[in-house]
Amino acid sequence: MQEQLQQALDFANYKQTFSIQKKVLKEKNAAKLTFGFQGGLFHINQTLLTFVEILILKGRTTAVVLLDSNQNPILIPNLEEFRDEIFSRYFEATNEYFEADQSLKKSRSVEKLLAQ
Amino acid sequence: MTKGILIYAHNNRSVDYALMSIVAGGLAKKQLQVPASLVTDQSTIDWMHESKIYDKAQEVFENIIIVPRPPANNYRRLHDGVDHSTVTFMNGNRYSAWKQTPYDRTLMIDADFFIFSKTLGEYWDVDNDILIGESINDIYDNNRLGYCDRYISEVGTKLYWATTVMFTKNSYTKLFFDLVQIILDNYQYFADTYRFDSKQYRNDVAFSIAKHILDGFENIDTLSLPPVLTLLDKDILHDVDQDKLTVLVSHKLDANFCAATLKNTDIHIMNKQSIVRNISKLMELV
Repeated sequence: MQEQLQQALDFANYKQTFSIQKKVLKEKNAAKLTFGFQGGLFHINQTLLTFVEILILKGRTTAVVLLDSNQNPILIPNLEEFRDEIFSRYFEATNEYFEADQSLKKSRSVEKLLAQ
Repeated sequence: MTKGILIYAHNNRSVDYALMSIVAGGLAKKQLQVPASLVTDQSTIDWMHESKIYDKAQEVFENIIIVPRPPANNYRRLHDGVDHSTVTFMNGNRYSAWKQTPYDRTLMIDADFFIFSKTLGEYWDVDNDILIGESINDIYDNNRLGYCDRYISEVGTKLYWATTVMFTKNSYTKLFFDLVQIILDNYQYFADTYRFDSKQYRNDVAFSIAKHILDGFENIDTLSLPPVLTLLDKDILHDVDQDKLTVLVSHKLDANFCAATLKNTDIHIMNKQSIVRNISKLMELV
């Protein structure tokens, strides 16, 4: 009984550390997906990526006005350059997030979590 | 437009803010690639000479601006894990940032806010004259925070966190900082009006009220700096290894801790004594 209780307490301790590490990873990813451009601030997400790609497919590539994350209108002089930048940032951030998340999941003890 | 970091540091008998400001300034410079300036007082400068950190400060800061020492009439309880002490706290001159800053666009940070990422660099060119930290973001869980960590009082307005403030030097922001000074000078009046506890002067409260007034006495959802990721003072900075910080977090704010690590993340470490204990390793990062 005592041993089982100790195991449960150890797991609780592991889980707390895991939760903090996971939260910090999420925060880091969100921060990396913040993009300041032309006086506006964009949070790069699937909606923005898709919308920008659709505009380009529709032939709207220069002097396009987008609403930033604060709903302010921002003039984007060259939408293709903007698209390349946000795609690049998105994949850099999410790939890094994925790698870190995988390492976290494979760490089955507090010591291993802290070694990340 | 010139851009730079501004940090205030006024030592008291318990906390070496000057020492922390060197780390904060050095890390901010390194990550954001802009110069940094320090606002301090002669007594703190004398201590920096005595403790032989002045040369390092000169290396980190392009300007060391000497101002009169603010009155030491503010007290706060500082925790160091389960231990605590009550110390004087000289924070009553942040309103002078507008006048003191040598930059057109300034990021003012607390001496215990360490920048390990480029995130705040995205805000330099944002078209807002003043941006304040939106909220506190507890590293463990926002359930550890109280109502008064989010609002200035039980019936008051939203609390912004002046741990990070970015502003452009112009007539609007002059009005803002002048208003912060008026709030400081008439703190009891504003405490009665906004129904907050006036025992301790807090820049967070003064900046929040100034914003509320200049927003037309409304809680307007304007753009802010990102929530300030914070290690509370009952938590402990345990170790620094390269750029990895190992922290001990008490989920119930008691003597039971779990460990975690942080890397490449901006962090506000409220446990100042634990910063000082790790200062030599932190200095290596600068």
